[in-house]
Amino acid sequence: MMQSYQLPQFPPDFSCVHAALYIDVSDADLLRKRLITASTAEGLTGARERDAVNFAFIEARLITSADHLRTAIYQAVLAAAQGGLRTKTVHSEIIWALNPTNNITEAMRRYGVSDTTSALVVVRIAGPELLPASVEADMDAVVTGTKASFAALHDLTDWPAVKKYYKLGNEAGIRDAKDDPEREHAVVDHIVVSSVAMKSVMA
Amino acid sequence: MASPSSSLALISTSTLISQGAEAKVYKAHLSAAPSDPPVLLKHRFRKGYRHPTLDASLTRGRVAGEARALLKCLRAGVNVPGIRMVDAAEGVLAIDWITGNSVRKLLPGGADEDEDTGEDEDESEADAADALQEYDISVDVLMQLIGQEIAKMHLADVIHGDLTTSNMMLRHPASFTSRHPTLRTELVLIDFGLSYHSNLVEDKAVDLYVLERAFSSTHPDSEPLFASVLKAYEQRLGKEWAAIGRRLDEVRLRGRKRSMVG
Repeated sequence: MMQSYQLPQFPPDFSCVHAALYIDVSDADLLRKRLITASTAEGLTGARERDAVNFAFIEARLITSADHLRTAIYQAVLAAAQGGLRTKTVHSEIIWALNPTNNITEAMRRYGVSDTTSALVVVRIAGPELLPASVEADMDAVVTGTKASFAALHDLTDWPAVKKYYKLGNEAGIRDAKDDPEREHAVVDHIVVSSVAMKSVMA
Repeated sequence: MASPSSSLALISTSTLISQGAEAKVYKAHLSAAPSDPPVLLKHRFRKGYRHPTLDASLTRGRVAGEARALLKCLRAGVNVPGIRMVDAAEGVLAIDWITGNSVRKLLPGGADEDEDTGEDEDESEADAADALQEYDISVDVLMQLIGQEIAKMHLADVIHGDLTTSNMMLRHPASFTSRHPTLRTELVLIDFGLSYHSNLVEDKAVDLYVLERAFSSTHPDSEPLFASVLKAYEQRLGKEWAAIGRRLDEVRLRGRKRSMVG
């Protein structure tokens, strides 16, 4: 169920993307604590622990489509390849790219893992030497949940929350589509994907 | 800079579609994933005749401007291509690939851009009619769509700056699922490279005037066509139309430039 694809135009270290969707995640609170501890742990244990959680953990209910996720990944990898990261790692940059504002803490709180998270998207950016099977095993070791197809994202999406964060409540494009939820979701997805793609030149 | 530009590496594996003085346009795939749809890459390449610092800041500003205009249109419900990637440092903008044809090619007179017109004029009109049939749309409905889309754009205070029938596309019915009850295609406005934000009656009137001139210089006997574009525009615009219509009459008398000074 984990998806892997290549971005051949980037330097080898950033050229492989691995992503999986987990539903029925039961221990998000423990995972969140583990991430916080790992980030400050010292010595060899700290390094090993950071390596074990070296992923982007993303709140799946705020992802509108696989395109949305891919676009954020692309902009994060682009920033990393250009030496232009605004956050510490390419993984945190993905989460930053998903949030419409420039506030990093807000991005982590909204789009990162929280105690109430029940569906997670886990992403790893790596070089070609890391085999997909090994990445998947590492993901399975950190997350307790059921892997699902990315097609399931659409039904997990919390549309009111997405509309609120992107301030789409009163836009003419959304109002035109309000009688047809499917169409409204497609319009919201379209706007959100474009917003993520152009965040670097937003204001 | 950590490495040579990834966007240039991407371009080197893409197909060149067309080239202008300002940018080159390519068809590309952002990733090697088989499910990845194609995108249109617009590369504002380096201009050797400009100072590098000025060149970089102009390019960055124009990519940003085009992306912002597109997003503004998307939020306002105007049919425009979605944005897929922005690399302002390298002057690259990636947008959704639209499968279809430009309105110019679908109307009489627009198809034979390079050929000698005259003897095969009848033939080209027949071709245009055939082409529209493929999109299952009449000329009159097409004109209404154009008027509506421009009206939505102007209501959002976006001025296109280069409205021509080449900068409008019809989506091919086979390339997407229409959610419209009777239409199987969709009119999409493209190329926002010269667009800007304005709420002035003057700018909206000039935008329409530029399109009127494009119609009359490209398509023979286009007066009734443009009249139905304006009619649909007027309906969608409502009370704001009166001022714009009046100004359009003035612009027709004096031309696009407001003053003869400067």
